[in-house]
Amino acid sequence: MTSPTTMQNSQVQNTQKKYSPLKEFWKSFKKQKAALVASIFIVLLIVVAFIGPYIAPYDPFEPNYDALLEGPSASHLAGTDEYGRDIFSRLIVGAKISLMVSFSAVFLGLILGTILGLISGYFGGWIDKIIMRSCDVLFSFPDLLLAIAIVALLGPGINNVIIAVMIFSVPSFARLVRGATLNAKENVYVEAAQSMGASHVRVLWKHIFPETISELIIFVTMRIGTAILAASGLSFLGLGASPEMPEWGVMLSSGRDYLGTSSHVVIMPGIAIFLTVLAFNLIGDGLRDVLDPKIKNN
Amino acid sequence: MNYVKKLVFVILCTLLLAACSEKDNSNASNTGDKSTTESGTASSKNELVIAVNENFISMDPHNTGDTNSSSVQETMLEGLLGFDADGQIIKVLADDYSISEDALVYTFKLKEGVTFHDGEQFNAEAVKANIERIMNDESLRLYSRGFSLISNVEILGDYEIKVTLKEPYGPMITRFGVAKMISPKMIKENSADIPKKPVGTGPYKFVEWVQGDHLTIENFDGYWDGGERVAKITYKPVPENGSRVAMLKAGDAQVIYPVPAQNIDELSNSKGVEVNKVPSTIAHYVSLNTYKKPLDDIKVRQAFNYAVDKDAYLKVVNAGLGLPLDSIIPSKTVYYKQQKMYEHNIEKAKALLAEAGYPDGFDIEIWGNTNSDTMKGMQFIQQQLGQIGVKVEIKSMEEGTLSDEIYGAQTPEDAKLQMWYVSWSAYASDITNATKPLFHSVSFPPNGANTAYYHNTEADQLMDEANSISDVDRQAELYEKLQEIVYQDTPWIFLGVDEVVYGVRSNVSGVQVNPTGGLDVKNAKVE
Repeated sequence: MTSPTTMQNSQVQNTQKKYSPLKEFWKSFKKQKAALVASIFIVLLIVVAFIGPYIAPYDPFEPNYDALLEGPSASHLAGTDEYGRDIFSRLIVGAKISLMVSFSAVFLGLILGTILGLISGYFGGWIDKIIMRSCDVLFSFPDLLLAIAIVALLGPGINNVIIAVMIFSVPSFARLVRGATLNAKENVYVEAAQSMGASHVRVLWKHIFPETISELIIFVTMRIGTAILAASGLSFLGLGASPEMPEWGVMLSSGRDYLGTSSHVVIMPGIAIFLTVLAFNLIGDGLRDVLDPKIKNN
Repeated sequence: MNYVKKLVFVILCTLLLAACSEKDNSNASNTGDKSTTESGTASSKNELVIAVNENFISMDPHNTGDTNSSSVQETMLEGLLGFDADGQIIKVLADDYSISEDALVYTFKLKEGVTFHDGEQFNAEAVKANIERIMNDESLRLYSRGFSLISNVEILGDYEIKVTLKEPYGPMITRFGVAKMISPKMIKENSADIPKKPVGTGPYKFVEWVQGDHLTIENFDGYWDGGERVAKITYKPVPENGSRVAMLKAGDAQVIYPVPAQNIDELSNSKGVEVNKVPSTIAHYVSLNTYKKPLDDIKVRQAFNYAVDKDAYLKVVNAGLGLPLDSIIPSKTVYYKQQKMYEHNIEKAKALLAEAGYPDGFDIEIWGNTNSDTMKGMQFIQQQLGQIGVKVEIKSMEEGTLSDEIYGAQTPEDAKLQMWYVSWSAYASDITNATKPLFHSVSFPPNGANTAYYHNTEADQLMDEANSISDVDRQAELYEKLQEIVYQDTPWIFLGVDEVVYGVRSNVSGVQVNPTGGLDVKNAKVE
């Protein structure tokens, strides 16, 4: 991970030319065209998620039995579903659910994983062993299978999906942070802080945690894509959002009977999921190119 | 060097695997080719491929619960009685029969000159062996369906037999149609094989059954009723809807059953294919727990019935198929009497709800399984009741859990069920099973399927009397009254009756589906 020398260099730069990390970041990120487009898409999506209910052309819950399964047209941009509900409006309103689920799951996983990773890497010894072996246990299950098992235990529902996706995110974060912590622990300034009598919490929070941030940011963006997929997958299986909700996975699931006859019912939410996941992954890639010191050094 | 060795090994393995799979493929396609070429030329006259939606479970006619298995059995095995295309009772191996007035004694005169596929004679001895097999074996499904009530089987002559019951049992006559006759030799010597390769008296005899792949039967030359039939029929379980449809279009199957609702239009417009619809005895309804608030109030239940648009239901949930359920039993069921339907009237529904003390509606749960049609139906109910201010929460549960939740309740007080989206099907000739388990107060869960906890003493009496007599006219009278009373009391939201849909190639005739959903190809012909 970050080597002591580069850190010192950047710190030197920092003091010399009024170096603004944000500006620097933006300069390199701008060059990542794909990631840039993806970010714009995500920002738009977040805006839509917030104002969705106000801009949706139709009530996403209102059935219209005279307009069942109509293809995309001027009045229904993405067509109507099996109850005659406007799919476009449902996608817009559903964006909020999909984003909310994935963001909260990933951030909860991030917090828990980071704490565990810091503790594990910093203290080492038996604490490290316990945490890492528990992570290994969780790793040994395929992500979605673990999530299904958790939801099966907790019962279906969107909150339990968040918990499930969170739980399978925790070990990845923990392992990542532990690695970064092990590296950062060796830094001279950490030793210095320790010798000056700084508390463990202070050393961890002020000196070690910042070292892990760049990697965490990359990983979070990547992980959100996975989380959206997992949440949609769970909803598709009937374990997540209740069937009337305009959650994208639910829409995909209830539309699958019409795949052969009115494929737009499935294709539209499919595209929404696909684009969103792709965008998050592209941003993640772009961020890695900009932030990851290993790549920078090359 | 080591690397090269490994590489060679991997390549060899791959080749070997490829060779194996190729062999399998060529085998498969060979047999496939044979059948298609045969069916392409002289064939089609002699062969029929039928694609159905589920695997066959058992060929034991005395222990079968699924429609597909009994459809196949229907071609190989026959009972004393049977069912016509409308599901009504006809005589098959019985030449004649009579029922005593107290509905306790059934006397059958048997057909002469009937032989089983293994050469055994069909006579009173054979019938006795079959009935005794069922009445002495609790593990058979039919045991608990009437045959456990048989006290005595008496042979009156070579071709005459008398069966006496301990107590009257209305559906017994239907059971004699369901209970197919197995060769007595097989029952005696080889009963373990009955579920795998049954021997009966039917127009077709068993050839082979490869689980999950196909089941083949062929024409039995010594059939007592003669007639011309196709030489060979192959049943293939094809659970995937799309594949089944594709098989019919391509001519790889001459009959598919069922046709998925969403493909009806597509198939109707295809050349060389015919799609047929038949009203079934499958009724869809929502049972309303009449024991507990708020559904204990008849006004609330009636309000629900007025709030739900049955035509829209059929259109949205059933892909436009089916008929509204306008009585407590489907129209194909014997003694059916049409009732005046609760028309779709939101205002009336709202008014009734207000009268019952719920002007602003209330929250309620609906339960159902995870089947996609059920989910669709529950959402539809949710939307419809939303119009009168009733907020419905959908709880879909895996079938096993659902059944535990519903039938786990030992008393009506324990029941957590409020509404259940479900369907019921009984033989068209068996009105007892279409009413008693659903509306009689002895059928509260866990003893029966009266999940509405419907209790009306008058209705109970009507059902009790109808079940204890054999006078057809009186039964009709009683059941008419029963339908009126129960329909008025609205223990259900009455939704619709399914139509079953099957597809055939245009050169195939004589295929029928009876109201219970059984596919009958005994008289199928290919031109």
